[in-house]
Amino acid sequence: MSGILASLFGWAFLVPLLPALAFIVIGLFGDRLRRLEHGGWIAVGAAFVSMVLAVLIALGEMASPDTYTSLSYTWLSLPANPTFPYGFSLVIGTLVDPLSSLMLIVVTVVGFLVLLYSIGYMHHEHGLSRYYAELSLFLTAMIGLVLSNNLLEFFLFWELVGVCSYFLIGFFYEKPSAASAAKEAFLITRIGDILFLLGIFIFFYVYASDGPAGLHWASSGFLFAYGNLPFLAGSLGANTPLLTIAGLCILAGAAGKSAQFPLHVWLPDAMEGPTTVSALIHAATMVAAGVYLLAMTSIFLGFTPTDQFAIVAIGGFTTLFAATMAVVNTDIKRVIAYSTISQLGYMVLAVGAGFAMVGLYHLFTHAFFKALLFLAAGSVIHAIGTQDLFKMGGLKRHLRVTGAAFAIGGLALAGIPPFAGFWSKDDILSSVYSVTGSHPEYWPFLLMAMAAVFLTGYYIFRVWFLTFSGDRIRDPTLPTPHEGPWVMQVPLIVLSGFAVGAGLLIFIPGFANLFLLPGGVTALGIPPTYGTTDILLSVLGVGLGGAGILTAWLLWGNGRVFQLPEGSVWSSARKVLVNRYYFKVAYDAVGAKAVYSVARAADFVDQFVMDGTVRGIEQLFSRISERMRRIQSGVVSDYAAYVVGGLLAVFVLLLLVGPYLVNRVGGG
Amino acid sequence: MAFPIISVTLASLAVGTVVTFASGRYARWAALVTTLVFLLEIGVMMMLFFAAPGPLIGAVPTGDAESYAWISLSWLHINYSVAVDGLSLALILLTGILQLATVVYSWTESKRPGPWFGLLLLTGLGSVGVFVSMDILLFFLFWEAVLVPMFFIIGYWGGPRRRYAAIKFFIYTHVASVVVLVGLLVMAFYSGAGSFDYAAIYAAAPNLSVVQQSLVFVALLFGFGVKFPIVPFHTWLPDAHVEAPTGGSVLLAGLLLKLGGYGLIRWAVLVLPSGFLHMDPLVYFIAFVSIAWGSVVALSQRDLKRMVAYSSINHMGIVLLAIAVDSSLGLMAAVFLMFAHGVVSGLLFMVSGSVHHTYGTRDIASLGGLAAVTPVLATMIMIGSLASLGLPALIGFPAEFSAFLATWVAIGYWVLIPLGILVVTAAFYLWMMQRMLFGPTKGIPLKVHDLPLAERIGMGILVAAIVLFGILPALLVNLITQSPIRGF
Repeated sequence: MSGILASLFGWAFLVPLLPALAFIVIGLFGDRLRRLEHGGWIAVGAAFVSMVLAVLIALGEMASPDTYTSLSYTWLSLPANPTFPYGFSLVIGTLVDPLSSLMLIVVTVVGFLVLLYSIGYMHHEHGLSRYYAELSLFLTAMIGLVLSNNLLEFFLFWELVGVCSYFLIGFFYEKPSAASAAKEAFLITRIGDILFLLGIFIFFYVYASDGPAGLHWASSGFLFAYGNLPFLAGSLGANTPLLTIAGLCILAGAAGKSAQFPLHVWLPDAMEGPTTVSALIHAATMVAAGVYLLAMTSIFLGFTPTDQFAIVAIGGFTTLFAATMAVVNTDIKRVIAYSTISQLGYMVLAVGAGFAMVGLYHLFTHAFFKALLFLAAGSVIHAIGTQDLFKMGGLKRHLRVTGAAFAIGGLALAGIPPFAGFWSKDDILSSVYSVTGSHPEYWPFLLMAMAAVFLTGYYIFRVWFLTFSGDRIRDPTLPTPHEGPWVMQVPLIVLSGFAVGAGLLIFIPGFANLFLLPGGVTALGIPPTYGTTDILLSVLGVGLGGAGILTAWLLWGNGRVFQLPEGSVWSSARKVLVNRYYFKVAYDAVGAKAVYSVARAADFVDQFVMDGTVRGIEQLFSRISERMRRIQSGVVSDYAAYVVGGLLAVFVLLLLVGPYLVNRVGGG
Repeated sequence: MAFPIISVTLASLAVGTVVTFASGRYARWAALVTTLVFLLEIGVMMMLFFAAPGPLIGAVPTGDAESYAWISLSWLHINYSVAVDGLSLALILLTGILQLATVVYSWTESKRPGPWFGLLLLTGLGSVGVFVSMDILLFFLFWEAVLVPMFFIIGYWGGPRRRYAAIKFFIYTHVASVVVLVGLLVMAFYSGAGSFDYAAIYAAAPNLSVVQQSLVFVALLFGFGVKFPIVPFHTWLPDAHVEAPTGGSVLLAGLLLKLGGYGLIRWAVLVLPSGFLHMDPLVYFIAFVSIAWGSVVALSQRDLKRMVAYSSINHMGIVLLAIAVDSSLGLMAAVFLMFAHGVVSGLLFMVSGSVHHTYGTRDIASLGGLAAVTPVLATMIMIGSLASLGLPALIGFPAEFSAFLATWVAIGYWVLIPLGILVVTAAFYLWMMQRMLFGPTKGIPLKVHDLPLAERIGMGILVAAIVLFGILPALLVNLITQSPIRGF
């Protein structure tokens, strides 16, 4: 059995190829495929086959965890030579290992379910073929990213998922806010990407120049391959400034993609895209790629202690920072977006503290319950056409499936056992706690993450109560809600199943193989163990989450609406939160105003100073030529013909007659 | 190469040009046939070249190249000498692609088609001549020959201020040409080469003192740099582009700027290594300034075409940077970048032209929502913009990646300057798309048609090149690095 499954690894390239074909077919003919939902069913079909393949590959990895590479193509190569001693050949191809097959499951399962859901959710929109083509392209790029066998190939797909995200955020491009949000997302992640690229350069340089012969990026081209590990592990202990900077560059790239502080501002605005896009790209897959990058880097390249602290600090701070903004938001999707930022912070925290696999464990569970929350929110929006929480209320009687699904997602997010989020979040907290002995500097960030647990329970159930509880819809002008078609309900139900059970999968030994470190080493914290302190921590975490839920019920339950007293400290704090700590304002001031002013000034200098100084001389010449022109008359294009003829004649003369004449005269 | 394919190519282009000039209404067909023959000849050239890579810079006996004594004096030898290597072949391929795309794009040109298509071909002929000439006189004749058709293209088919722009273009580049000529002559005579032949000069150039080499290098840097163009000698470019007709802009940005890059590599960097080395800080400085200046000024442009023109200054600045790092990777990147910029800016100037004649204006701020009205045109704008800002899977990325990697290896953290500017480059393209393509429709005339077929095909040719070499850059890299320039 495992032999048959292992033979599949060579066919891993089919997993991204199928959505790629769907992209091409839909892009070219989507508009003519009215029957197939403008190509929607093609995209669903391709994603389904991809998913089946991915699951088979993962089963193979569970049976015999190892690294398999295939499909080598030399993308760019340059031999070493005296002027460039770092000759390299960049070989791209697919790499299947336990980790990438875990990610494959996440991407293809959520991708397939979201596409299926889209058939119902997007049915009434315009530009469907564009939607399905772009989403298929996204799946291709995301799967390619997961299967990359080296850092540069990873970067290629990393940029491609970014551009897909750009187009899908701006899907409703007629809306100025959507067009603006798309641009913002692209530019802010680009800041991170540029530093990421520098990080790649540094790693290249370090490993190309210091590495033993034969282990250049170069000859192997497999920065992520397990085979490199002994060599790379040798450099882990070194806290050289160069490696520290490289690690910080990688962190910057990851922070951009995963919307970590201070590059977080784009993600809430990215909610301008369709809710399905938010579920797939901005919750389950693309934004998690930053965490995946950090985890891969920490496993295969290693972070220096300075880097680790920076990662812990960014992640830990972001958990609380984002959660506070979720508390006051009135838009159902934006609350979930802030929640995503906060949850990604937990993963980053875990990776930074040295528990890469624990971070990926949370990535795995989070992908399902967060996609579920978004799709459930989409179901609400589909039913009543608004995202404003304060217009909703009492929907649980109309939308039973959606209400239950959202509640399950909420419980998973709040970390209530036995739902998926509990196991992974608890594992993060106890893992980080376990190293605070040797790293007391992690304490503040662990406490922030703890505090965020309370807020998580609060904000997500604030949403649930505002949306579903109570006996009436607050805005009476809204239509009578009803559930979406089966294509929307099935994904909700399936994802609910994952939100309940995904966390427990890790206790199955075969599945836990997907979390093995290179060389079959068991990762720290996988599967979670439960000693006395761990249980106390679990109780504390559940208590905090439960207290959050209880607070939400007290303030918002049964149709209650809680209002802060006007003019108090609390309401001014609320104002800061509503304005997102003024980060957006500051970014706009720098990005739109300051840089643009510089550009205007440069333009002025360009036109009047640089061009002006030479214009004097130039005018002299042009005056002369004007006068020359006046002597003659006729059509300019005729002159062109004369000149061409003349030139050719001169050539012929020089070529044929010239040498003869000159030789005669010269030779005498 | 036994078969004189280069001379045959030049001759066929020349014949085609004359025929095109003469054939009036049928000029477009004559131009198309000439171009297709040209592409075929490029194919033959590559086959022969890959069978026996060469001739090698300075290492080949002149007899092996297509070389005939032309003027022989006791103190001076002038040859008709043409040759190709990876560097020139890549740019000749670019010429072929751009020429085909331009001819097809302007298929329906009705304003004196004979001279129009003839001048397009003549520009191509001149460029190819520059890329193959291995003799100073020949090189210079072709170099000057390119200016003439472009002068007329701008001056006759151009926009309202075409005369001003044409004359400005002519004067700038002509002054630069004179300086180039002086530099080349000094090289030929002061080194004691006693010949205009490239191989002879290459061999004799080390005889020049370091000061002489440096001075000549600076002269050539200025002369070729104006074509690049380098800041602050760039102000002819936006004016020329704004007034030039679309086909002219495509060739101007796609080809003519490359003449500067090619000339600098071939006649200055390779021939005068120690002069180059001494002046390298200056080259770096100019490159950084051009990169930053082009991009920042582009951000404030309202005219789409002017914006693209300034982005050209930025991209050619990166070419100069890749040259400055002085390594085989950098040189490869420089040539790759020139190729990439050629096809990408060609596409961007085509879309600018199409926007202008579809909507009657190129003013970014007064248009909006084009994506909904003319989706094909909008898609082309997006592809061009994304390629220009360096998106992977499109041609710009492998080129820029190689250039920046080479820069990092050479000068370390300085690379953050051009890398940081990439954000600005992304910003002006994305901002343009946000305002022009997205949002509610604005500034749309009553009757609007999406791209006509000829323009679609013309752009399609460039898009094909952008995607092909973006996904499989090794194809181009292998061509460029086939010759042992500096030990490729």
